Amino acid sequence: MAHESDTEPQTLFQLDGVTKTYGPVTALDDLSVTVPSGAIGLLGPNGSGKTTMIRTLLGLIPVDAGSGQVLGMDILHRQLNIRREVGFAPENECLFPAVQGVQFVAYAGELVGMRSKDAMQRAHEVLDYVGLGEARYRKVETYSTGMKQRLKLASAIVHDPKLLILDEPTNGMDPDGREDVLQLCRDLARNKGMSLLFSSHLLPDVEAVCDYIIVLGSGKLLAQGNIQQLKQVHNQCFEVRLKAGSETFAQGLSALGCVIEPRDDVLLVHIPEGQSPRMLWRAAAEQNQQIRYLRSQRSTLEEVFLKALEQK
Amino acid sequence: MPIFDQGYQHWSGQLSGRAWRWLAVTRQGIRGGLKNRFLRYVLFAAWVPALALVLMLCMWGLLERRSSLASTFMQYMAVLQPGLVTDPQHYRADIWRLSYGYFLQIELRFSMVLILLVGPNLISQDLRFNALPLYFSRPLRRIDYFLGKLGVILAFLGMVVIVPSIVAYILGLMFSLDITIIRDTFGILLASVAYGLILTFSAGMLILALSALSRSSRYVALCWVGIWLVSGIVATVLQAVDSQQRRYDYYNKITVARPNGRDANRLPPAERDKQWRAYRQARQRATEEYRVAELGFSAHDWRPLTSYTANLSRLGQQLLRTDETWKKLSLLDPDQEARDQLLATYMGPQYPWYWSAAVLAGLFGLSACVLNLSVKSLDRLK
Amino acid sequence: MCSQPFGEISGPAEVTPIVALHEVSKWYGNVIGLNKLTIRIPAGVTGLLGPNGAGKSTLLQLATGQLYPSQGTVHVLGQSVWNNPSLNRRIGLCPEQDAFYEWMTGWDFVYTSARLAGLSRADARDATGRTVEDVGMTRHKGRAIRGYSKGMRQRIKMAQALVHGPQVLFLDEPMAGTDPVARRALMDIIQRLGSEGKSVVVSSHVLHEVQSLTPNIILLNRGRLLAEGQVRQIRDLIDKHPHHIVLVCDGSRKLASRLVGWEDVEGIRMLPGGKALMVETRSPDAFYGRLPQLSLEDGTEIKEVYSDDDNLEAVFKYLVNK
Repeated sequence: MAHESDTEPQTLFQLDGVTKTYGPVTALDDLSVTVPSGAIGLLGPNGSGKTTMIRTLLGLIPVDAGSGQVLGMDILHRQLNIRREVGFAPENECLFPAVQGVQFVAYAGELVGMRSKDAMQRAHEVLDYVGLGEARYRKVETYSTGMKQRLKLASAIVHDPKLLILDEPTNGMDPDGREDVLQLCRDLARNKGMSLLFSSHLLPDVEAVCDYIIVLGSGKLLAQGNIQQLKQVHNQCFEVRLKAGSETFAQGLSALGCVIEPRDDVLLVHIPEGQSPRMLWRAAAEQNQQIRYLRSQRSTLEEVFLKALEQK
Repeated sequence: MPIFDQGYQHWSGQLSGRAWRWLAVTRQGIRGGLKNRFLRYVLFAAWVPALALVLMLCMWGLLERRSSLASTFMQYMAVLQPGLVTDPQHYRADIWRLSYGYFLQIELRFSMVLILLVGPNLISQDLRFNALPLYFSRPLRRIDYFLGKLGVILAFLGMVVIVPSIVAYILGLMFSLDITIIRDTFGILLASVAYGLILTFSAGMLILALSALSRSSRYVALCWVGIWLVSGIVATVLQAVDSQQRRYDYYNKITVARPNGRDANRLPPAERDKQWRAYRQARQRATEEYRVAELGFSAHDWRPLTSYTANLSRLGQQLLRTDETWKKLSLLDPDQEARDQLLATYMGPQYPWYWSAAVLAGLFGLSACVLNLSVKSLDRLK
Repeated sequence: MCSQPFGEISGPAEVTPIVALHEVSKWYGNVIGLNKLTIRIPAGVTGLLGPNGAGKSTLLQLATGQLYPSQGTVHVLGQSVWNNPSLNRRIGLCPEQDAFYEWMTGWDFVYTSARLAGLSRADARDATGRTVEDVGMTRHKGRAIRGYSKGMRQRIKMAQALVHGPQVLFLDEPMAGTDPVARRALMDIIQRLGSEGKSVVVSSHVLHEVQSLTPNIILLNRGRLLAEGQVRQIRDLIDKHPHHIVLVCDGSRKLASRLVGWEDVEGIRMLPGGKALMVETRSPDAFYGRLPQLSLEDGTEIKEVYSDDDNLEAVFKYLVNK
């Protein structure tokens, strides 16, 4: 994690009883959450209030009730100051039109209050970091999707924010581009001490970048916690995949007291108490089988998410 | 450490105060505007009347000093109106006023063209490319955004109206070498700058409101052409339709008969010509009477208010007090009728200026409301 | 299914291709879309992958008869697709673009698609009800599409592709923008269709989704066919990159010292944490064969074994970024 300090991790943001309604629809319902700094994943089905929560954190919408702080600043009264320390990469495609890439990023910096020389210098630095080389001198309309996303990311970090909010950053990108963006996010969060709030529907992406997640549903907080802690490891249950012909293997193991359950392309093997995977290897050696995959069963982030949704 | 980290560097520089945030928006808008070739051409063309103004003021200054450089000009003016040449200093303020008046009239047209070229894109391009979330997720208030965009209009209109006014004033001052000019003419400079500001704020707010209503800058440009040209046409048509009746009232009062076809042909040519001449003279007189009466009638005529540019002109006329100038100049002519004709030809519409001011203020308020509503609903980050 | 065989059928006789392209090229002006592509897509779920500009959308448009190939032939279910409305009734397409009749309700939209596909009124009504239920949109079917979120729009798009019970389905980024709940529902539908014997071609950039749907993939790059078949088989064929196999063991160093003695082990890397190591080998079969014996020896009990790059992402990366 980014902050392995002896002292308690700092609070990234905190919301107390925040409620926001749009007419008959309640977007946030008495939401209270305290989030530590680091890389945080924001999950939730459509309509759960994620976008509203992000807007509230940025101080863009007035809330009906409740209060909160971001990086120690009150969301009701210090909204402009919050936006100085926060960078935001919105979901849909957004551009300042008809400028070159480097002018785009420099303008983004000037809007935060940087002087134009500082902004230009910083724009080049940040564009080096996200990997837009010569392309920065071309007009932004000619960029591919991957380049536009990286440009958006660059414009969000040009003023060196302490918190970077990313809304679906890998939307519609091809695998290479996705990996680039995820790598940049990981680097920023783990090595450069920037806190991240990563909102996405693609759970493997969230898992690749974040350590901590919060799950929203219908405007309420359904679950929060460290990913590794939320994913329970079942000690006596293993996922096994063999090279071929798993029936004889399964029969052999059931005879020894294991419970076998096929799922997708692996076998879930519950071995009885007191035993270890050694018995699996012994069975494999006896039957001349190749075990190609053997891991303790851990719930995936998707299971954690769906379970959290069911609890509401 | 011989190898330097090429990765992300932190930055801890100074951030400028909140008050100057709008300047970044303005700079960006100006840069974007100047990229347009036609805009640059129009800007150059718009400085030609400025040159003409400078020339006029300088020539008058030389004339006052009876300098040899202005001898041809002096002769020309002597032919036109000897009274001016004999006592130029008395009429100094008036000539300056009229020069500025014509200058501002021409620059009004150029301003409308400039706004047509630079205005529609201001907000509608941001809407089309969905740039608003980028703006408002930064420490930028809506008011900063609007002021920034308005600043773009102020910059361009300032370049063609305010800056040339000031420069011409200074040059005119230098060519006259007479400090008392300032006493006489400072009001003109103030009036001219005030006019420029009114033009900027009124037209600027209007084009911003239009631009915020549509994603396509073409529709906005069409709307602007509508407000500028079509409203002018509407006003002219309304006035013409209305005044036509009155004009014919005057014509009907002519006692001299119009030579009628068949009877006229029976007369010898000399007689026929004489009758035609008499008729035409009577008609001419009737037209002159009509025009003088129209001047009085225009004091109650609301029809010019429908033209947007006419409202601006009316305010300019009021600020510069060109009407008084014409009245003073008309006194140079001893003949009362000639004086009336001069006034009827050159004076602007006489309806109260506060009607125009009210129309412009109303449009300003409407634009502000539209901006408030349309951009508020669009800064919801989609 | 196939009304008439179209030419030679290569490969195993029992795998009848449902979609068959034979030396198909397509260019737009000078820009190449597909370059002499020959491919046969069997029944079941197949993933269609490739970087941007690889020609996936071109392939889908050619296969649904929206484009005419500059060279080559395209056959679906044994018939040529071009100008063939009766064939279109047996094909379903879920395109990538987000364009609807915004004023229609979801139900109306799917019903209209069903009627356009040739179903009678009663049949269309039944089919619409069933399909809307399948995609989980029953609650919102009466609302205008204008008010739908992105996930709902995707689901309605899926519904209109399924409503007429097509034999062949082409799905272009079917799960873009959907939340994990809807995603799971759609994946279940796709897998069910595949197991029913229909042919489903799913084009997507999200590799882990394609991986959970099917092991059969088609990989395109720059308009040409790069790889086709099962992910693991393809992986085995990539010689240039040895397999990376991760072993977790308490006595990892001792295990490593034993493994170094094996001939087919090309490299061993100790992973951070001290309990895991990664082995590089070009003959995984031989390696796995000897593993159980090694695990049973003293001090080298292997707790976990898995292959780091046996998955679709690794295959994609190795093949595309050659």
